Parts: sequence; structure tokens; C-alpha cells
Amino acid sequence: MRFKTELKNIRTFSKLTAALNSLEKIAWVRLDDDTARFTVIPDTGSQVWASLSMDFMFENYHIQSAEANNTINLELPLQPLQRALKSALNSTSASLRLTKKEGVPILSMTITTTTDSAAAPGQRSVASAAAAAAAAAATGVHSALDEDPFHDDDDDDAAAFAPEHLETSLRREREKIITQDIPVRVLHPETVETIMQPKVREPDVHIQLPPLLQLKAISDRFTKLALASSAGGATGRVGGGPRLELSANMHGSLRLRIATEAVDIASTWTGLENPQLDPAQLQGPLEEHPSALFREAGPDKWATVRVDGKDWSRVLSVGRLEGRVIACFADDHALILYVYVPQHDDSSAEDSVVTYYVTSYSA
Amino acid sequence: MAVLNLTLSEDAVVALRDALICLNKFSDDVSLEAQKDKLILTALNSSKSAYACFSFSATRFCSRYHFEGSSQNHEKFYCTLYIRALISIFRSRVGGDPQRDREKETLIDRCEVAIEDGPGVQSRFIAKLVFRNGIASTHRLPFEVVVPVHAKFNREEAVNHWTIPSRTLRQLMDHFGPGVELLDVNSDGEHVKFTCFTEKTVNGDEVLKKPLRTSIAIEVDEFEDLKIEDSLHIVINVRDFRAIIQHAGISGTNVMARYSGPARPLQLTYPGDAVSCEFLLMTVGERTANPPHKTKRGKSVNSTKGPRQQQLEAASRRQSAAPSEQLQGAPQPQASGHAQSRLGGAQPPPPQHPMLSAGSNVGRMSAFDLRPSQRPAPPPTMRSEGLFVDDYQWEPVHEDDEETEENARLEWDQSVQTAEPTSRMDRTMSDADETNEANADATQASSVGLEPTQRLSEVERMGLFFRE
Repeated sequence: MRFKTELKNIRTFSKLTAALNSLEKIAWVRLDDDTARFTVIPDTGSQVWASLSMDFMFENYHIQSAEANNTINLELPLQPLQRALKSALNSTSASLRLTKKEGVPILSMTITTTTDSAAAPGQRSVASAAAAAAAAAATGVHSALDEDPFHDDDDDDAAAFAPEHLETSLRREREKIITQDIPVRVLHPETVETIMQPKVREPDVHIQLPPLLQLKAISDRFTKLALASSAGGATGRVGGGPRLELSANMHGSLRLRIATEAVDIASTWTGLENPQLDPAQLQGPLEEHPSALFREAGPDKWATVRVDGKDWSRVLSVGRLEGRVIACFADDHALILYVYVPQHDDSSAEDSVVTYYVTSYSA
Repeated sequence: MAVLNLTLSEDAVVALRDALICLNKFSDDVSLEAQKDKLILTALNSSKSAYACFSFSATRFCSRYHFEGSSQNHEKFYCTLYIRALISIFRSRVGGDPQRDREKETLIDRCEVAIEDGPGVQSRFIAKLVFRNGIASTHRLPFEVVVPVHAKFNREEAVNHWTIPSRTLRQLMDHFGPGVELLDVNSDGEHVKFTCFTEKTVNGDEVLKKPLRTSIAIEVDEFEDLKIEDSLHIVINVRDFRAIIQHAGISGTNVMARYSGPARPLQLTYPGDAVSCEFLLMTVGERTANPPHKTKRGKSVNSTKGPRQQQLEAASRRQSAAPSEQLQGAPQPQASGHAQSRLGGAQPPPPQHPMLSAGSNVGRMSAFDLRPSQRPAPPPTMRSEGLFVDDYQWEPVHEDDEETEENARLEWDQSVQTAEPTSRMDRTMSDADETNEANADATQASSVGLEPTQRLSEVERMGLFFRE
């Protein structure tokens, strides 16, 4: 089993990891010749199935597996991955390799980076004073280095090197090689074959969500209000946060509502887009699709689901990916979000899709 | 009688605070040692594996400095203070609304510190802060007179050394993830490698919880004045290293490391503004039979399963350890040799000791401490094994007492506050909901304000109300 690749789109990869990590610590990663799939299935809360083209963040990759379709299944902790990607953010190059160290399988990320002179804090105090002080102190601290005659606050980087190194340091940036070893577990195909992507009936309403940051701010506000009012003695829900009611119609409106004994607030967005369905993707004729019926029924026909306020907030953290988000409502049944992540370096390429199966509750 | 008087400028207060914050990462208490020309702050961690020392130049650091000395000791004065109390005195007052001019006025103009001690005088550390707006606040802290413990370092033995800007080290630390415990420094001749890892063994299922293992290779060229033995692995505690680098990064000077081999201390030094900073960290690992500078060690780190908690050597001993020796005048070499043999634990006593103990650090030892210790029992931080004789028998008693007392109080709280009244309240509430939902708000409002003592009558009244 081999897997080796160079990384690209590191910023997007890092954001995706962060979004997944807000729901669950460990992801199931399935790699094959064409697709990299990241799946998180928390014990309670929303599931995510992110299907990305291998070209999306890998380059010059090499994958080799004895399993069918050249597939590699891994269990990958997201927090270390996120940390490793953070190291790689401003790197000159980064690569990923599946290997073994001391008997433990790891994904080893090798990052080449240079000294970041821009980040130098310019708070060096008067060097001569410091050196004199050091000399005065009887502990005999080695202070000669600080008496570098080339020192100059305006050129901190050059001053940090001894004179004979000055030339080389100007000629090229200092390279550092960082290795980040992420522990992984290789999964046997049998253990993952039972994990199935949820099947949900055709949605009643599909609608493009307003900017997620806005939606999240209001959702979080509602959740906090509900928490505050329930803390005052009203019936608190055992486990989980307050339930938010999300409704949408086929006439461009989305409604977010919180109702407790103490408060009942709703926000409504209008003028949103209900994207056209692709007839080729449908099993029956377009006119018989549930959404067509909802459209006919007019703007007062809402499809409604209830979500956990805290879980919903974690779901909305996907907003950092800056993708277009389509929400699909199956009335009183399910809510699915499709997040279309643009591929920045190749606008002709098809967007990758991250699918959120949002946990919903009956009334 | 004031033993010491000094005045600090605003910048000096900031520098002092930075030093204290750094020291606090090693210990709860700081030892202050005042001499004619310098002020030394030291801290030793509870496992005695890390030691921090800040030596301030009296004339350069303080705008005024006057050391009187006590009647018993004209050379130096020492005491131990609780760091957090000091930090809160010297805390940053910058804050609030930066737009407003008033903010400037709350800045410190100067700080006058006096230490009073002597026969018939209350032992107090007095800090008077004079603010720009004219307000002055005076803080009086009690202290204990305790002989400071100075860890020692033999520079002759430490043949390996390197110097690098603190900024570079700080950038390295950014790449290390959480959960790592140890830092391995080694070189292959072209690169110096810093590797962060944990030794914690994990079971099969928990493999994925292992922290990120990070390794950073830096070209030898990037160091100044580097001389280290190839493939020598030196392992220290990450947290200590992080604390030091954080402080070193403030002044942005070069950090110099010196060390010999595993299980021997590593020294980190750097100059600040009018202060020199020295840290000794005990390195992890086993000492081989060969002299350290000739060892060619492989990756021995992971094989060390024995007690790896080595301790630093002390140049002086705690006063309570052996009062009789205190009175012998100048400390005898065999006395410190005695202390060293105790600290060793599983580690064989290093051969260089007899020579070392007579070395330069002996000068720092307190020879003239005739005052009785004011410390009634060892502080909770001093959970030492071996380096000093602690009065063990006192500690468990105190701890037990506190614990039982706390537990008792907790139980009492629970039974009275939560169990009964709330459950009854809930029941009333749910009944109420069923009978009359429209009045739910009223129930909630009134039930919130109920005093437990009134609950029966209130509940009855509400029941009637809702049955209407």
C-alpha cells in the first residue's frame, strides 16, 4: 500500500479540515485513483461526506493498493492534520506520504519553508545596552554575540547573522524542512463496507442559503437567547442545545425561528435563489418532483425541519470554505446541505461537493 | 529598617513582569536575592528538573537602587515571594478604551520597592506604584527568608553549544502541536533537528490520539557559533523550552545553548535589557558509561523506560534540610557533595563532582544564614524526591484535613441546595404547564424568585392558583 503526493490548495484543504474537525475529531478518508473522500460521522450530530477530486488538493500523486479499485481507507485524526496544514500554509512546497514509523502507520507531511523575515518582531532594544548589562551581570553570560557591529534595527534579518554569513543570507532564503507525522489507522475494506452514505427521499424545497456568516450569526444569537431563557427556569432540554426551526419555500424564502416558552423569534430571508434541477439527474419527470408541487402551492407552503442549535452552528462553520451552499429540505424529515467548493486554480474544473446530512428532529 | 530600596521606571516594571511571568511557568515561588550591584530572581520547579535565573544589573535596571543589607548580613539579602501576588501588583494596566486620553493617565510613572526586615520589624516587601494621574497604590507582601537554591552548571563539561536568534526558535515553536512533551535536539552534520514528541504509550485504539510528531531541520548555517557532536540526542521538556523561548522572544536577542550529554543539564542563556537570563534544564535519557563527549548515541530516547526524571544539582541546600550545617560557616565541599549524592536517584553519581562542588557556584551559597526559617511547613510545590530533606510528615496531614473539609462542605451544599427543592419545583411547573399553558410565563417568573424556606406555602398557593 503506497500513497504519496504533493499538496496544493493547502488553504482550502486546511479550511475543509477545520470545518470537519468542528463536528468530529476523526475522519474516515477513502482514497482511490480519482477521488479523495472525507467522511465524518459523529455519535450525535450531523454527518459530512466530502467527495473531492484527487486533483483538488493533490498533485503528482501516486497511489497503489491491493484493494479493489486501488482504494486506501484510513482513519485520520483531524486536529493533527489541521495543525500540520497550518505549518504548510506559507511553505514553498509540501508533500504527504503514507509510511510507517516504529511500527505505527503515519501520514508524514514534509514541508519546506523559509525563514519568515516579515514576521520578525522589531522590538529589539538597544543592543549595546543589553550587552553592557550582560557584561555587568556577574553570571558571565556569553555576550560577545550581541556586540555584532553589523547590527542595525532597520535590517534585523541581516544583523542576526554573523558578518561572514551576510552574503549567503542575502543570496538565498534559509530553508527549513519540517516533518509533521500524523498518526493514522489503515482500515480493512470489510470494516468500511457497512458504512453507507444516507439515502434521503427527493427534497421538497431546495434553496441557496444566504451568506453563511450572516446565517450563523443570527442562528447563534437565537441559540444563545434560547439558552438564556431556559436557564431562567423554563424546561431545559436534556442534552444538546435548543432546537431551531428552519423553513424554506420554493419562492426564495428561508425562515429561521426559535420558539420557547419565553420567546418566539423568527428571521426571514427573501429573494434567495431556488436553483433549477437538472432533469437528467431525476428519475421521474420534473413536473412530478416534490419541489414542483411545493412551487405550485405558493409562498405559504413551507418545508420545515428542526435542528439542534449547537450542532447547526458547527455545521455552519463550513462557511469558511466560501462555497455556494444549497439546502435541500424534506419537510419534517431531513435537511441536506450541498457545499460547492470552488477550485481556485482551475475555474474550468468541476466544483467539489461537500455534503452535510444535518441531524433533524421531529416536532 | 529597609534592607533594600529601589525605584523602577515603567519599562523596568514591564521587564520585571515579563520575567515573573516566565518564572511562574516553573514555580509558584520566586527567590529574590539582593546584592550591592545586582538583583537576582530565581525559581526551581517542583521536580527540580528546571531552574530559571534572571540577574538584573542594579544600576542599569533600576533608576535608583540602594542596598543596605541587614545587620546579620551585609553582603546579600534573600527572600521568597509568591509570584502570582507580584504579578498582580505589576500587572499590565493598559487596557480599557484605547481611544480615550484618560487611559494614558493610568500608566505607571514609577514604582518604588522597599524591603523591610530585621529584628522588631515586620518582614514586608512593599511596592508603591505611582501612576501618571497622581494616584499611588501601596502593596505590602509578606515574605519568607529562605536560602535560595541555585542549580549549577559546569561549562567546562558542556562542550556542545549553539547560538541562534530567539525569533527563529519562536517560529519553530509555532509548528509544534499541542500534547507533545519532549523536545529532541540532534544534528546530522548539515542540519540541526528539533523533534517534538511524546513518550506516552498508547493502546491500539488510542493510536489516533497521539499528538503530532513534529520534526524541523534547520541548516547548520543558520546557527552562529555552532559546535555539537553529530547524532547526539539531547532531550528536554517542551513546556520549559516554550516558556523560555517565549520570554527570549520579547527582547529578540540570540539564545545560546550549552550542554554535554543525556542526563546532564542543558543551559540556555540570553541577554535582555539590563538583565541576563539563564536557564538550566535537566535533559532526559540515560548516561552511558563512556564519557559523554565521546558517545555516539543512536536513538536511545525511546528505549529509556527507567526513571527519566533527573534533577538538577543544587549549589546550596534548603535551610530546613540540615540546620546544623548552616552554622558551620562556609559550606564545605563535602556538604554539597552530600546533597548531590541524594539527588541522583537512579542515576549514577557523575565522576566530575568533587571538582565541581568547589567550583564557581559555591560562592553563591549562603553561608551566613543565621535566621531561623519562618516557613512552618514545606510549600506544596516542594514535592521533592531526594534532593532535599523535606518534612514529609507534615504535608499529608494538611492535605487530608483540607480535603475532608472540602468534601464535607460540598456534600452539604448539594443536599440542601439542589436535590429536593428543584425537583419539587419542576413537578409543580410541569403540572402547571399541563393545566394552563397560557400562564406558564407567570409560573416561571414567580418560581425563580422563590426562597427555599418558603417553598411549601408558595407551592400550595400556586397549586390553588392553577386549579382555578
